[in-house]
Amino acid sequence: MSIQNLNTFDPFADAIKGADDDVQDGLVHIRIQQRNGRKTLTTVQGLSSEYDLKKIVRACKKEFACNGTVIEHPEYGEVLQLQGDQRENICQWLTKSGLAKPDQLKVHGF
Amino acid sequence: MAENDDSVFDPSLLKKKKKKKTTFDVDAAMAEGSPTEAGDNTDKENTEPASYADNVDLDMDDLESFGKKKKKKKKPFNLEELDSALPSDTTVVEPSEPAQEDAVEDSFDYDMDFSKTKKKKKKKKDIDDLVAEDEKEKAEEKENENENQTWGGSDRDYTYDELLKRVFEIMHDKNPEMAAGKKQKFVMRPPQVVRIGTKKTSFANFTEICKTLHRQPKHLLDFLLAELGTSGSVDGNSQLIIKGRFQQKQIENVLRRYIKEYVTCHTCRSPDTILQKDTRLFFLQCETCGSRCSVASIKSGFQAVTGKRAAIRAKTT
Ligand SMILES: [Zn+2]
Repeated sequence: MSIQNLNTFDPFADAIKGADDDVQDGLVHIRIQQRNGRKTLTTVQGLSSEYDLKKIVRACKKEFACNGTVIEHPEYGEVLQLQGDQRENICQWLTKSGLAKPDQLKVHGF
Repeated sequence: MAENDDSVFDPSLLKKKKKKKTTFDVDAAMAEGSPTEAGDNTDKENTEPASYADNVDLDMDDLESFGKKKKKKKKPFNLEELDSALPSDTTVVEPSEPAQEDAVEDSFDYDMDFSKTKKKKKKKKDIDDLVAEDEKEKAEEKENENENQTWGGSDRDYTYDELLKRVFEIMHDKNPEMAAGKKQKFVMRPPQVVRIGTKKTSFANFTEICKTLHRQPKHLLDFLLAELGTSGSVDGNSQLIIKGRFQQKQIENVLRRYIKEYVTCHTCRSPDTILQKDTRLFFLQCETCGSRCSVASIKSGFQAVTGKRAAIRAKTT
């Protein structure tokens, strides 16, 4: 039996490692951005890469009757982007489909 | 927190008493006629209950096995032993230190409170669940701070509700400013939000609000812009100009979220807090209850391209 307790463990190691811990924080960030005029855009960042985002976006587009796309980001991975303020819709849909738990969802914006 | 200090202090006090007792263990004890000692005490302190003498008798019987019990005393549930140990300690100690009579008496009172409340707890343990247990533990700590008046009067067990009510009363008496139960009102002027043209919004009293919240304007600015997914800056008139159209209601929502995360204490909700940066993380230090916890760092995360792509391309090339 080795004495594992005595190994030094830095609880902040993850935080110091880099800014990319946003991807690993286990949260799904749902944001809204204003475009020109009254138009808005909803982005969903942090969905597990195990999911097929293309399938998800296809289902969302149909469900919310809006356009959408998947954007490959070097830092944040695949990000879902939907037209309009779909924050309510996407929250409900993700919960209902079991892709994310309610406490994993972090909704930003006004 | 004050309670914490006490809880740390408690066991050490008991320990000290215990040590003293062990030195007396052999020569003192039965021959001293402890029951009479106890009788004196009850005369001196009218708060002692009738059952006290019985307690002492039991203790005397238990005296031989104290060595074993000392080790166990850290465990919170060894209440019986604690009960029996405490009063006898003091009775043995007292005759040896007549000069410190007053001091001993004080601590004696204290110990009695402790053992009594402990005993109450033990009796009820099987009915109450763990949460209740915790509550009571808190209750005891509070009791110990207070001089006990109502406890000595009768032999009956207090109901859990009575105990709970009592704790909260004491908590309110001792900390009128603490937000236990009652939410403390945090009064703030609403943000003045004005549209500038069609594409920009002015947050006129931005700097003033930063001052009320005791936060760096940059911190609030970072948060606002990250949440709104836009850009902006503070202009010469110390107002914040945000790109995009926002209504007062919307800014208010974001401000509320900011206050919840970065201003009010996560434990007691007091707004009297300090935000410190420590190794890349922000910590919220409460000035009221002393709690310290890390808060989420502000990240704008993924930002979609919303401007005219041609213009961006022109800029980058
Ligand atoms: Zn606090």
